[in-house]
Amino acid sequence: MNKKLLHKTSRAYLIYSVLILIISAPIFYYSTERLYIKEADDTLLLHKKEFLNYSASTLKYEDISVWNRFNRNAKIESVKQVTNDTLFFSSYYDTLDAEIEPYRELNFPISIQGKPYTYSERINLVETEDLLKNIAILFFAIISILLFGLFFITKKLSLNLWKPFYKTLQQIESFEIDKTKQSDFVETDVEEFSRLNTSIQKLIERNTVIYKSQKEFIENAAHELQTPLAVFQAKIDTLIQRSDVTQEQSEILVSLNENVSRLNRLNKNLLLLSKMENDSYSDKQTISLSNYIQKNLDFFTEQAKAKSLIIKMELQKDFEIKSNPVLAEVLISNLFLNAIKHNIEGGQISIAMQENKLVFSNRGQPSPLNTDKLFKRFSKSNPSEQGTGLGLSIVNKIADINNWTVAYNYENNLHSFSILF
Amino acid sequence: MKLLLIEDEKELALSIQKYLTDKDFVCEWVVNAKTAIDKISIYAYDCILLDLMLPDGNGFEILKELKDQNKTEGIIIISAKETLETRIEGFNLGADDYLTKPFHLSELLVRVQALIRRKNFKGSNIVSFNEIHIDILSKAVKVNNNKIDITKKEIDLLLYLIGNENRVLSKSAIAEHLSGDMADMLDNHDFVYAHIKNLKKKLNDAGSGDYIKSVYGLGYKWKNE
Repeated sequence: MNKKLLHKTSRAYLIYSVLILIISAPIFYYSTERLYIKEADDTLLLHKKEFLNYSASTLKYEDISVWNRFNRNAKIESVKQVTNDTLFFSSYYDTLDAEIEPYRELNFPISIQGKPYTYSERINLVETEDLLKNIAILFFAIISILLFGLFFITKKLSLNLWKPFYKTLQQIESFEIDKTKQSDFVETDVEEFSRLNTSIQKLIERNTVIYKSQKEFIENAAHELQTPLAVFQAKIDTLIQRSDVTQEQSEILVSLNENVSRLNRLNKNLLLLSKMENDSYSDKQTISLSNYIQKNLDFFTEQAKAKSLIIKMELQKDFEIKSNPVLAEVLISNLFLNAIKHNIEGGQISIAMQENKLVFSNRGQPSPLNTDKLFKRFSKSNPSEQGTGLGLSIVNKIADINNWTVAYNYENNLHSFSILF
Repeated sequence: MKLLLIEDEKELALSIQKYLTDKDFVCEWVVNAKTAIDKISIYAYDCILLDLMLPDGNGFEILKELKDQNKTEGIIIISAKETLETRIEGFNLGADDYLTKPFHLSELLVRVQALIRRKNFKGSNIVSFNEIHIDILSKAVKVNNNKIDITKKEIDLLLYLIGNENRVLSKSAIAEHLSGDMADMLDNHDFVYAHIKNLKKKLNDAGSGDYIKSVYGLGYKWKNE
């Protein structure tokens, strides 16, 4: 699954922060502790120096017991025998606090009036421990605040930073080349985004221009063909009036006449399609669908009669739609004529109105049609027929510009085209 | 009947002129708006056929000029433009009919005839051919003074055939005439045969002559025996 860009950066930050926290906390703790112990050791050694410099030379036997009595943490003993400086951890029971407390202790040999003694001094580490704890907590707190702060700031910052990007993304997503809606990009002071916007804007503009000229070309071409077609038609009309045409010439004339009429229809339908694309039919009215079907029913019945078709209608559930009246009529006519054209001799057509849905069903070839090509321009199920191959693509286009859906399905030997309004 | 054809496409104009002249119309032809306005100011016409796109201006200017001069000529616009707006503007400026290019000459002819009939309407509006009398307003047809049962479409077809007397009408021309706006979508013209057959039968049954002739595979022709 795709993750959002923001999540990706945030996740990286989060992992990094947690990792740093986990690694740095013990390192910090131990290094602080070591520093503190070193500090204690230095103090003890300094005291030793002081003792040797100032006290040792004047100390007498009898002073030892007095010394020991008044110095809680520095004793002169004869019992222990050490040969040089020894530093170690020890613990003693503290009568005041009534608990065993950790100490750092220094023992070293001295001689008082020529006799060997051991000087031992200790420093209580309880305070150190507390201090260390406090420092660790503080450190932890600071680093957490820092990291989380960093995390949220980055998140917020990226959110702000990427905002133009998301806006651009939205613009691109909503862009449709055949709709006239202008995309406008939000100004941004980030160079990359502004470059992105300009290049997309350029891309869109260029494509729109190409698309427009393409559309205009089709419309102009179709339009320009009208006059020569009119001349063509008029000449054939004149020619068929001649009384001296032979059978052979007459056959050519029939074929010419049929084809100019087909060319004419093709051109008219192309014009209709390109006009739809140029929004020439944008004014809408409220229309009763069944009225529109009834209106031209005579015409369609007449067309159906040639094939002895039965037309069944279920128009009880009439509803109104909003559409351009010309297009609504074209839509219905095309669906109707399509159902007639592809029907079998003596077949049937049923027109049903359901909830927001108009369905034209007809008999026809005994297999489903190729839905990929069905609504494409100039795609014909039977290439030899006289049709323009534009009927269903016009239906599709009308549905498209009105935001309706066209569906095709084949069931029980019936081809159904439904328009979902 | 005097017509003025304003059309810059020479080949089309010649064909129109010929087709109409053969039908006892006097058809004058001009290629631009300026000459057209000159002609209109001097002469009176029964009908004006107007192309909208002219080398020296827009056909609408001619319509405005006609309006300014209080002329009452019948006007049929013949144009390649077929937007609803152009149609509406044309009608608002006083045009009586609008025919989009390309069209069949036979179609143009019946439109001209219908327009002139409307313009010259004096109480009754009856088209007659020998024993056949068609009352356009009441949509009734009498053969030998007996009213026959006939549909609107058949009357339309009858008028079209009689109007184009002695002319070969192709199946597609008849189909396009009968299907009106639907013509652009219709690619099967077989229904024409059924209509012709029905009309022929009704007329024959009423004792009229057999005027509808089949012409090779081309189409049909209304011909006085």
